[in-house]
Amino acid sequence: MRASLDRIAAIVIKEFRHLGRDPRALLAVVITPVIQLLLFAYAISFDVDHVPTIVVDLDRTTQSRDYLRLYEGSTFFTVVSEADTMDAVDQAFDLNQAHLAIVIEAGFGRQLASGGTGQVAVLVDGSEPTSARISQAYTVAANQLYNQQLTRQWAQAQGLDLSSLGGLEPRVRTWYNPERRSSDFLIPGLMVVIIAIVTVQQTAVTLVRERDLGTEEQLDVSPLRKVELMVAKLLPWTAIAFLDVAVIICLGQWLFDVPLRGDIGALAVGSALFVFAALGLGLLVSAIAPTTDTANILALLIAFLPSFLLSGLAFALDQIPVVLQWLSYAFPARYMVTISRVVFLKGGGFAEVWPELLALAGYATVMILVSSALHGRRARR
Amino acid sequence: MSGKRIRLLIWKEFLQLRRDPMLIRLLMLMPVLQLILFGYVVAVDIRNLSTAVVDLDHSATSQKLEAAFTGSGYFRIVSHPASENELRPLLDRGTVTVAIVIPEGTEDRLITGQTAPVGIVVDGSDSQISAVGSGYASQIIAGFNAELRDAAGVSLSPPGVDARIRVMFNPTMDPVNTMIPGLIAVIMMISLMAILSQAVVKERESGTLEQMFVTPIKAEEYLIGKVTPYAVLATAQMLVVAVVGMLWFRVPFSGNVWVVLTGLALFMLTNIGMGLFVSLVSRTRQQAQQAMAFLMIPTMILSGFIFPIESMPDLIQPFTKLIPMTWALIVLRNSFVKGSDFAALTVPLVVLAGFAVVIFTAAVVATRRRISD
Repeated sequence: MRASLDRIAAIVIKEFRHLGRDPRALLAVVITPVIQLLLFAYAISFDVDHVPTIVVDLDRTTQSRDYLRLYEGSTFFTVVSEADTMDAVDQAFDLNQAHLAIVIEAGFGRQLASGGTGQVAVLVDGSEPTSARISQAYTVAANQLYNQQLTRQWAQAQGLDLSSLGGLEPRVRTWYNPERRSSDFLIPGLMVVIIAIVTVQQTAVTLVRERDLGTEEQLDVSPLRKVELMVAKLLPWTAIAFLDVAVIICLGQWLFDVPLRGDIGALAVGSALFVFAALGLGLLVSAIAPTTDTANILALLIAFLPSFLLSGLAFALDQIPVVLQWLSYAFPARYMVTISRVVFLKGGGFAEVWPELLALAGYATVMILVSSALHGRRARR
Repeated sequence: MSGKRIRLLIWKEFLQLRRDPMLIRLLMLMPVLQLILFGYVVAVDIRNLSTAVVDLDHSATSQKLEAAFTGSGYFRIVSHPASENELRPLLDRGTVTVAIVIPEGTEDRLITGQTAPVGIVVDGSDSQISAVGSGYASQIIAGFNAELRDAAGVSLSPPGVDARIRVMFNPTMDPVNTMIPGLIAVIMMISLMAILSQAVVKERESGTLEQMFVTPIKAEEYLIGKVTPYAVLATAQMLVVAVVGMLWFRVPFSGNVWVVLTGLALFMLTNIGMGLFVSLVSRTRQQAQQAMAFLMIPTMILSGFIFPIESMPDLIQPFTKLIPMTWALIVLRNSFVKGSDFAALTVPLVVLAGFAVVIFTAAVVATRRRISD
């Protein structure tokens, strides 16, 4: 046992020396997650505002100008230009200068003044569906508001009292993230994805690389056992992954004020189990990939894409096709994103996330056992 | 330049690729997997939100309201808690993401012409669900109110504005129609960068690079030989995505094929140059890999592939212009969806050409320096 620990320690020291000899790589392992976090947290948002809008006022009356103020005064729209012809609208859409066009037909003001209905055409650029949907919703809402205003003015002029009309009034409350800040929602998930990418890819490649370079044979003839080698190889990456977790949590708190409401113990246990699960996944890749190139692509396929798309980070999992929902259980990121959000935002602890913790523990165990078996078989060949 | 030397080099690279059949299989599988994942996950329409209804009124009105929620298709009612206190654990555990609370006396208030509040609780830990869920709920209630007024026989004809909304280019606003054209560029970037960034550094690590440079080979010949097999592979992947994507997801193509091909060729040169450059300046494969991840992730995030550029902060937006993918996406999406021609896409095409020239030149210079070392 003692000898075994000594051997492991020797390899760990060797691995850290390797890293130490390559300060650029070491820096990248620590700096990359930080830059990713900053980028993701600032850039990712589903909140669309300042939709570039072009207005065509063919009426030019007090009424049309009053209506257009609806768009000028709102932060949802930014009027980028005014045009006189539809050709200008086509051009602006083609060059991506505007994604929304408001066209007021001639006679708009006259219609309204006579108590009729004024015609407005709203053109939405559907080539970017996310912003198109949202701009469409904003437009509908803005028009409803304007019409209500017109109705009120009209009723006042007619001497009618509209307040006697009852109705339901929605009172929306948002729990857990009342200001609905994207960063509160994204950072707990981002931590998971960033760590998944670093750990899976690095472990997968470190082990295969020894094989590529032929140093694996050298290790085989040493008294080192397979398990010892793997533990020793993984320990430095575990340490780095933990460092990354700590850095991201601190940054999230300091820079983005993401609240940490729940049990930090549950988060720590979850992170540890998740790191082991991700390392296990990396080991599996290294066991099946014959070359570093394959390991690289395989890790990209199973670490980057699923953690990004199938973890619930940005896309709601209960909305995707059922087959893909099942598939999402095959990747540890899904469990960890849940743990992270429950602990950070919902203030949960072990009582709420034990099923996920259990799943991760099981996942890590199975992955490490299967991949050591595969590695062992490979070594005997 | 010697054609024979280049041919031999290309042959050598192909032989090396063939030695790892798993790699080729993976490279062909990757685009299909990505297509399915991005197509189905990113392009999802939020519907059937798990909802709890707390009906404290037990009246015809509350039932009608519940029916309006169910009928909309946006909400799937999974639970009827007896009191508001029972909501907390449901939302904590994530069993429901939306809850509707109809207070006691709602019907009485409506009958007497008063306003009756309806509580809508949304899970804010998922920002998309909370935004969409509360929006849909308010819409349904507005529709419900309109029906109430009609039923009460209140007919008013105040002046109003009739805004006819017409969606151009992609009338169904189907995200798949823009996702698939974008995916062609994304897949091209991922595979070219992932493999090419390793190509030179690999030879360096195993020492075959020095062997290569004592032969009479020239930098240009070396580059062409090195790059051609991967360019062929990337083209094959791209075709797989384009064909499968268009057939499976029924993505219409309304543009000019030559515009698309020009844009893709320029973008391919950019990526090849970038991959080579990373490979040439990295000392170890690990470094190359990290550099690649370092370049790829911001590209995915900032190019507008998933998240609309307009919703990024003003400070970030100028940076998106420095990313070749941003321009490649404009060319591809506008061609597919808007049917734009060369004239409309001159700016993005010229910018892409500029990127290609700069990056490729950098790669050639780096190779020359390596050889003269």
